[in-house]
Amino acid sequence: MSVAGALARLVAWRLAFLVPLLLVVTAGMFALAKASPFDPVRQYLGERALVTSQEIQDQIRANWGLDRPLAEQYLTWLGGLLTGDLGESRSFHRPVAEVIGERLGWTMLVAGAAVVLMLAMGLVLGTIAAYRRGTWVDRLITGVAYANEAAPVFWIGLIAIWIFSVTLGWLPAGGLTDAGSAVVSPGEVARHMILPVGVLAVSQSSWLVLFVRESVIATLREDFVIGARARGLRERTVLVRHALRSALLPFLTLFGARIPELVTGAILVESVFSWPGVAGTAVRAALAVDFPLLAALTLLATVAVVAGNLIADAAYVIADPRVRVLGVS
Amino acid sequence: MTTGAAAALGHAVTAQAARLRVAGLTVRFHLPGATVHAVTEAAFEVEQGRCLALIGESGCGKSVMAHTLLGLLPGNATVTGSAWLEQPGRPPLDLIAAPERVLAREVRGRRIGLIPQSPAAHLTPVRTARAQLTEALRELGGRYTADELAERAGLRPHELDRYPHQLSGGMAQRVANAIALAGDPWLVIADEPTTGLDRPLVDATMAELRRLCDDGHAVLLITHDLRAAEQVADDVAVMYAGRIVEIAPAADFFRAPRHPYAAGLLDALPTRAFTPIPGQPPELTRLAGGCAFRPRCARADDACAVRPQITPDTPVACHHPLERHA
Amino acid sequence: MRPETTTPMETAAPDLIHTSAAAGRSGRRSVRIAAATLALLGLAVIVVPLVARVDERLVDLGSALLPPSPAHPFGTDEMGRDVLLRSVYGLRVSLLVGLVAAAVSVVIGGLVGVIAGAAGGIVDRLLMRVVDGVNSLPHLLLGIFIVALFAPSVWAVIISVGVTHWTTAARIVRSEVLSLRGRPYIDAAINGGSSRMRIIRRHFVPALIPHLGLAAVLMVPHAIWHETALSFLGLGLPPHLASLGNMINDGQRSLLTGAWWPSVFPGLFILIPTLAVAVLAQYWRDRTSPRWRSELNL
Repeated sequence: MSVAGALARLVAWRLAFLVPLLLVVTAGMFALAKASPFDPVRQYLGERALVTSQEIQDQIRANWGLDRPLAEQYLTWLGGLLTGDLGESRSFHRPVAEVIGERLGWTMLVAGAAVVLMLAMGLVLGTIAAYRRGTWVDRLITGVAYANEAAPVFWIGLIAIWIFSVTLGWLPAGGLTDAGSAVVSPGEVARHMILPVGVLAVSQSSWLVLFVRESVIATLREDFVIGARARGLRERTVLVRHALRSALLPFLTLFGARIPELVTGAILVESVFSWPGVAGTAVRAALAVDFPLLAALTLLATVAVVAGNLIADAAYVIADPRVRVLGVS
Repeated sequence: MTTGAAAALGHAVTAQAARLRVAGLTVRFHLPGATVHAVTEAAFEVEQGRCLALIGESGCGKSVMAHTLLGLLPGNATVTGSAWLEQPGRPPLDLIAAPERVLAREVRGRRIGLIPQSPAAHLTPVRTARAQLTEALRELGGRYTADELAERAGLRPHELDRYPHQLSGGMAQRVANAIALAGDPWLVIADEPTTGLDRPLVDATMAELRRLCDDGHAVLLITHDLRAAEQVADDVAVMYAGRIVEIAPAADFFRAPRHPYAAGLLDALPTRAFTPIPGQPPELTRLAGGCAFRPRCARADDACAVRPQITPDTPVACHHPLERHA
Repeated sequence: MRPETTTPMETAAPDLIHTSAAAGRSGRRSVRIAAATLALLGLAVIVVPLVARVDERLVDLGSALLPPSPAHPFGTDEMGRDVLLRSVYGLRVSLLVGLVAAAVSVVIGGLVGVIAGAAGGIVDRLLMRVVDGVNSLPHLLLGIFIVALFAPSVWAVIISVGVTHWTTAARIVRSEVLSLRGRPYIDAAINGGSSRMRIIRRHFVPALIPHLGLAAVLMVPHAIWHETALSFLGLGLPPHLASLGNMINDGQRSLLTGAWWPSVFPGLFILIPTLAVAVLAQYWRDRTSPRWRSELNL
C-alpha cells in the first residue's frame, strides 16, 4: 500500500469517528445544561435580576430560545453551527465566533511555540539521559522529570513569575503587551510570550523526556545498532541516524494522546499569565455560566484533540515504512 | 602459541602477509548468580588469502568470537588474552587492549569487516538498504559505488531500494556482504552466514567467500554448518565448551579428523554416517574439570580427568586422538 | 585487558550487573523514602488538627505576610494565618475530596467495566468507544463545564472528577472481568446452576476488589490535581474550605509584591504526595504483569 493510500484510509477512518463523537459530546452538553439548576437569564442579569420585570426576563428567555424543547434548542444550535453562527457570548456580549476568532490566534501562537520547545527539550534531555544512563546526569534529569510531572503547572507558572518577573525583573508578569502600550508590537509580544511558552513547554515535557530516555535505551540494545557500530560508523552517526530515528517513532502517536493535557495546560497558563488566548476564556465563561461560549470551546477542544491525533498518526505512517503494510486503525 | 598454531597448520609464517593472531583469548560473562565461560584460552591465526573456519555446535561459545574481536561485547563481559592485528606497513594492534575510539575509527569496517548473524536484524528498519550502504561507503571512504558493491554481491540495483523487512533471507545476506566490503577490509568475519538459507544459496555464499580469499582477503568463517565449511575453508578450528580442541588444514581435517568430537561431528552429517553424537554439550556456566567432552566420548578413560591441551606438537586437545595417516 | 575507560556507547549497551543490582538498590531506596513521606504526611493530616492549639482560620492582620521564620516555618499569608498550618489543613481538605472523588470515579468505572466485560459483544465495543471518546476530551475543560453548570461546590468538584476519570478504572475492571470469564471455576459455577447475579456477587466482586482498590489509590493524586486546578481558577471548592488550590490562588496577589511563601509552600504539599504516589506506582508497575502496565498508563 502506498503512502497516499494509507493516509487516505487513516483520514477517512478518523472522520468517521469524529462526527459521531462531536454529536454525542455536544448533545451531552445540552443535556447537562438543561439539568443545571442555574437560570441563565438570572445569571446574565446578575444583581439586576432583582429589579428586572418578569416580562423582560421572559423576553430574554424567548430571545435565547430557552423556552423551546431541548431537542429543538440543540438542532437550532447545530444549524447555526453549520452556518458559522455560534450564538452570542453572555459574558463578552459579542458573538461567540468573534470572541473565538480574535483569541484563537494567540492561543495557537503560545501552544505552537510551546510544542516546538517541548519537542526540542524532550529530545535532547531524554537522549542525554539515555546515553549517559546511570550517571548523575541521568539521575538528575530523571528525578527532575518525575518531580515536574507531579507539580501543578499553575504553581510552576507562579514560581516562574516570582523568579523572573518579581525578583529578577527580566520579564513581564503577564498580559500580551506592556501596560499602557497602545500598539501591539512583535517585540513586546515576544517578551511577554517567553514565560507562558516556557512554562507550558516545561510542564508538558516530563513524559517526553522519560519516554525518549526509555526508548533510546531500549533501541541502543537492538541488533541493528550493533550492526551499525560494527560497520565502523562514527558514534554520533550511529546515535542520530540509526538509534534515534527508530527510537522516536512511537513518540508521534504518544504525542497525539497527550493533546488533551496540552489543552488543560493552555487553560491554566493563560489564566496565570493573563494571556488573551481562547483557552483562558473558559474560566470567565464558567464563572458567568456563559453556555454558548462554553459549548463552542468544548467543541473546539474536541476537534483539536482529534485533529492532533490524526496529524500525529499521519506523520507516523509517513515515517515508518513497516506500518504502511499493516495499516493503522 | 602463535608460531605453534602456524606450525600446526603446516605453513611458514610469511612476514609480508597481513594476519590476525589470537592467543589465550578468554571471555567471561558475569550474570547475577552465575558466570558464563563463553571462550577459554582460544588461539588461532587467520592469514591473508586464507579462510579459517571456526566450527562448533550452538552453545559452544563461537558466536561471541566475532563480537569479541570487534569490541562489541556488553558491559558485563571480561576479556583477557590478545588478538594481534598485523598488517605490513602499520604497527601491530592488539584488538583486546585497544580502546573503543581506536576500534571505531580504525578497525571496524576498515580493517575488519563483519557479516553479522541474522543480517536483516542488523540493518536499521526505517532506512533503505541503499541508504545504509551509501552511508557506510561515505564514512569509510570506500573505493566503489553502492551499485558496484551490490552487483559484486549479486544484487540487482532496485533491490537496494527496499527496506530491511522487505528483503528475503538471501537478499539480506547479500546486502550484508556488500556493506561488509564497503571499507575494503582485508579481514572479513562471516558470522553464521548460512542460517536460514537453502542449499543453493549456501553454496553461492560459500563461493562468494572463496572468491574473497582468492582475491587476497582473509576470511574467518564462524559456522556450525560443516558442509558449507568444507566448501570454502583452508584451515579448520573446532570449538567445544568454549575451548579450541582441534586445529588442522581443511583437507586433512575433513579427510581424517583427530579429535573424537570432530570425528563425531562429521559422522553426524547426512552425507556421511548420519549418526549423531550421544548426549548434550555442557552448560557454559557449569564446566567441570578435565576434558569437557569426556561424558560423551567413547575413547575416554581416567587419563581424561586431566584436561588435555593443544601444544605445538599436537594440535589436538585430546589424550587419545584418532590417528591420521598421510 | 580492556582499558578501564568506557565510552557512553559502551555503557549504553546492555549491562546486566548495573541494571539489576545498582538500579534495584536505588529503586528500593526511593520507594522507601516515598512510602515514608506518604506515611508522614498522612500522619500530619490526621494528628495536626487534633493537637493544634491555634485555629488556622484566625485572621491576624498585624502578622500579615511574614517571611518564613522559626515561629512560622512557612511564613504567614496576607491574612496573617500560618501557612504551614493552613497547608496541612488544606492537604486534608484536598485529600478528603480527592479520596471521595477517586472512589466515585472507581465506582462508575467499575460498573462500566463489569458491564463491558460481562456483556461482551457490541455492548463492550460501544462502551470502549465511549471510553475512547471521554479520553479524547480535555479533563479540565469538561470539569470546568460541569462546575459551571452546577455551581462551584464540593459535590460539583467531586462529580467533575468522577465523570472525567472513570475510564482508567473501567479499563482495569474490564480486562480483569474478561480474564475471569475464562477461568474454570466460573464455568463450574455456571454449570452448577448459579444465577448470574450470584456469580457476580460471589466470584467476580472479591476478585475485583484489590484491583479497584489499587485503581482508587492511583486515582487520588489525579483527583487532587484536578480539584486543585479548579480551585485555583476559582471554580473549585468554596473559599471557606481552604484547599491547597484556593491557597495558591489567594497567594497570587501577594506574589507580585515579593511574598512567595503563601503560594509556593502549598504547591509543595501537592507536589510531594503526588511524586511519592508516582514512585510507588512505578515500583508496583514494574513488579506486576505486563497487562497492568498497559492499563495503568497514567
